[in-house]
Amino acid sequence: MAKELYIDLSRCQGHARCWAIAPETFGIDDEGYAYVIEGREGSYDEENVRKAIRNCPERSILIRETEESQ
Amino acid sequence: MSEQKEVVEDFDFHGEALDEIFEDYDVMLNKCPVGHSSKYGGFTYIAKSEDIFAAEQDPDTFAVAPSMLLPSFGTDDPLIPIDIDPPTHAGYRKILLPLFTPMNIASLEPGMVETAKQLAEDVISAAADNDGVADVSKLFARPMPTIVFSRLAGYPEEDWPKFDQWVDDIIYRRTKEPEVAYAAGGKITEYFDAMIKKREAEGGEYNDLLDKVLNSQVDGRELTHEEKISYSFLLFLAGLDTTAWALRSSLWYLAGNPKAQQQLRDNPDEIPTAVEEFLRTLSPVQAMARTCLKDTVVQGKEIKAGERVVLVFGAGNRDPEVYEDPHDIKIDREDNRHLAFGGGIHRCLGSNLARKEMVIGLEEFLKRVPSFEHAGGEVWHGVGPLTLRIGKE
Ligand code: SF4
Repeated sequence: MAKELYIDLSRCQGHARCWAIAPETFGIDDEGYAYVIEGREGSYDEENVRKAIRNCPERSILIRETEESQ
Repeated sequence: MSEQKEVVEDFDFHGEALDEIFEDYDVMLNKCPVGHSSKYGGFTYIAKSEDIFAAEQDPDTFAVAPSMLLPSFGTDDPLIPIDIDPPTHAGYRKILLPLFTPMNIASLEPGMVETAKQLAEDVISAAADNDGVADVSKLFARPMPTIVFSRLAGYPEEDWPKFDQWVDDIIYRRTKEPEVAYAAGGKITEYFDAMIKKREAEGGEYNDLLDKVLNSQVDGRELTHEEKISYSFLLFLAGLDTTAWALRSSLWYLAGNPKAQQQLRDNPDEIPTAVEEFLRTLSPVQAMARTCLKDTVVQGKEIKAGERVVLVFGAGNRDPEVYEDPHDIKIDREDNRHLAFGGGIHRCLGSNLARKEMVIGLEEFLKRVPSFEHAGGEVWHGVGPLTLRIGKE
């Protein structure tokens, strides 16, 4: 099992704290909502990313288990 | 210290009540996190961070209609989008949300820097003419958002001098003199009624928020004239007052704390983190109202359908369960998931703009204005005078 970082878009309200704190990992789309930059899904343990998780007002930055990709 | 009170009687969050509101918050948080006040027609308040968060995530139980504002903003019409509940709310919000992304806000940065620079110079020359003393609220904290937001929104420059009075009449006089607030509300309605009609008659190309409001669709139709006025009314008050307060209260704090002031002057890259702490502790929005739609229980207290409920963001922001030494303003506080902009579907649309204005405003002010201290002993809250003595370089 591997883990990946993702945004729960049903909760994200576009505060953009994630982007302000960890811009190498989070982007904000044209509508104003957050996404995890491609290739950064595994960065959930980095200090900046943990800080973004702690500061997201909607608690919408989450980590999930994924099936190991073949 | 005197014995701590057991309850907060008739909790209020406007005007003079703000003088000692942080003490009220302590009592609420420690002894009565959900309670009742008879002010403004009666309401139940919710003080703890976690409970406020939960309420904001549950608009089916805690609706905004008839209004998030208590007392009202000089009008009985619901303001778009903040007084609108799902499912209609999302369409209104979508109109402007894309314009308030941090990337879009970044494009305004050069203009903001220029404005802040100019206003800081005005502060310096006013002080030079007046024994080193200047009102930085009037000269800096208020004009900065007026200029920045009016340009973004599309309000003609010749109208700007009228704005402060309208804001004061509505936001600061509504509790004691509602008739004054309603009179100003009437003027703002007339102002936008005329501006919208004029634009629509003349056509023309604009690239501003008003244009967006006039030319966007909701549920596949254009907004009605009344909806356009309502949206404009809300933007006007939201864009001008809150940021002025936030800038003023940040400067108020720094004037009384020379160490923090010097720290940020020497290390401007620490300003964004400090801004979050000022927002947490000295925010312009201490509380917002909801209406309970179904009987519910919070912290063991029953809240009945139909009751007005006030989410006390300012108290949640000083909740000891969330913040270490909650009353200490630590400009380097890193974990700061505060409620200054609210959360959930009604999260402040302008938060990224407000943050940018605060950061740039403080940067330019600290860069240009030499060390300053209080000369008038004014209160922390509001947008009234902030008289500072400004040192020589
Ligand atoms: S901080 Fe949270 S709510 Fe805000 S944009 Fe990022 S993920 Fe969304």
